[in-house]
Amino acid sequence: MRGRAVTDMGLEFLARVRNTSTWLGGVIALMAATYAHPLAGLAFGAGVLWSLVNLQLLERAIVPLFGPARGTPEGTRRIGIALLGMLFLFAAGAVLLALLSPTALVSGFMLPLAVIVVKAATRILLDSRAWSGIVNHRWRAGVAALALAIVTWFALGALTNAGSQPAEHGAAQGTGHATTAPAPGEGAGHATVAPGEGAGHATAEPEGEASEEKEEGFTNIIALLAGAFPHAAWAHFLEHYEILVFSLLIALILLVVAFLASRNPQLIPSGLQNGVEMVVEGLSGFFISIIGPKQGPRFVPFLGTLFIYILSMNLFGLIPFMHSPTASLNVTVALALTVFVYVQFIGFKELGPLGWLDHMLGSPRDLTGWLLAPIMLPIHILGELAKPISLSCRLFGNIFGEDMLLVAFASLGVTMLPFQQIPFGIPMHALFFPLALLGSALQAMVFTVLTSIYILLMLPHEHHDEHGHEAGAQHAH
Amino acid sequence: MDLHAALSLGLPLGIGVAAIGSGIGLGLIGQGAMQAIGRQPEATAKIQLAMIIIAALAEALTIYAFVTMFLLKGKI
Repeated sequence: MRGRAVTDMGLEFLARVRNTSTWLGGVIALMAATYAHPLAGLAFGAGVLWSLVNLQLLERAIVPLFGPARGTPEGTRRIGIALLGMLFLFAAGAVLLALLSPTALVSGFMLPLAVIVVKAATRILLDSRAWSGIVNHRWRAGVAALALAIVTWFALGALTNAGSQPAEHGAAQGTGHATTAPAPGEGAGHATVAPGEGAGHATAEPEGEASEEKEEGFTNIIALLAGAFPHAAWAHFLEHYEILVFSLLIALILLVVAFLASRNPQLIPSGLQNGVEMVVEGLSGFFISIIGPKQGPRFVPFLGTLFIYILSMNLFGLIPFMHSPTASLNVTVALALTVFVYVQFIGFKELGPLGWLDHMLGSPRDLTGWLLAPIMLPIHILGELAKPISLSCRLFGNIFGEDMLLVAFASLGVTMLPFQQIPFGIPMHALFFPLALLGSALQAMVFTVLTSIYILLMLPHEHHDEHGHEAGAQHAH
Repeated sequence: MDLHAALSLGLPLGIGVAAIGSGIGLGLIGQGAMQAIGRQPEATAKIQLAMIIIAALAEALTIYAFVTMFLLKGKI
């Protein structure tokens, strides 16, 4: 009984080590990929993964060896599988060592072991009397935490200043203020150029024309890939069509979600189907309330798709290492042109060519109307042409402005602490996430609501000015 | 005053002036909508919808100034 408890506790300890290592390793790998060389991040992540799989297999091998399944054929089989897996793992490790930077790989491999050591040390520390003496006293605990933070801060600063590569490069990538930042020292300056050669080709010469566009905004996964493989054709392709890639990725995600939700429809929905149905019903009711119950349902698929797609694109930029496609004028102009063509098509189809012309002339019915028609025609044409421009500029300006706001405050958070060349800072931009969420939803809504109103204006029964008896006639029908 | 000085003075000022106009407009729209909702709370949904649309139109003006700023920023 006692032995069982000890095993369980050990396993629980291992599970906690696994969780900590996964998260810590992921974060460190991402940071290394951003601030140092992307390949280094990849190598670090691979090392952590390798080590974690190794630990898992060890656990698999050891538990049947000492647990209750010991000696049974089942246990032997499990041990055999684990050993076979370890054989494969070591082969993979050899390949990785040949392919990637050994230093990063080995440090990634060491991370779970370090986590084990630190966790064991804290377990001893937590039981000791000195620790409870510090923790139980409020002021002592505060002072200790402050001292720890200060020591960590300056230790990091000393480490980065001592010439380990990423500091200045990281600051440049993250905030784009490398030009103004004072060089922390010759050593660091050298080191920046050397590893940054591939990744920071643009950052190495911040004055360059071409780097201007890439400098602003947060770095994203495609820029990282392009930095990791500077000579690969596919990386160039991805970087060039970055926005398209992201928007197609979003379309793909939406497609998969829609497929999963509608794959096995139930009469009483649950889970994903429930959520998706809620969204669809809400959107359907919303647009039908604008266009009207008779004509509305026809346009719900187009408008609803537009809303969900734009909302996803707006929100996509808030995910770390992603980028909002709608923060580019290309995407918004494409969307607005789609809407323009669709609305004109609806007009042609519903009104007929003559009716469309009549609509463009301002629907003249009396002498004044016909006299005003030559003036109304250019006004209407201009109005129609202004719609896509205002739609696209509004969406682009809002989303781009939001992203720029976040970037500006993030770089403010970093440059507020300029005395240490560390790519860390106060996350000032976190305050603006609610604003960005609100703005994203609002702009997606505004775009689709305006589209539905343009459609409404093109539909035959609405464009007459004589509201009174027209509306009455409508009701009579 | 050369082009650079004029641009670096004019672009932020332009956004500010546009924002003043938009702000006044948004304030009026909000005032009208709030009063309408206060008078007829049962029509809240319709009023809010119209308010958001008109607010988007008013706000677009500042956005145009903003976009212009970004178009011309490269020339500073």
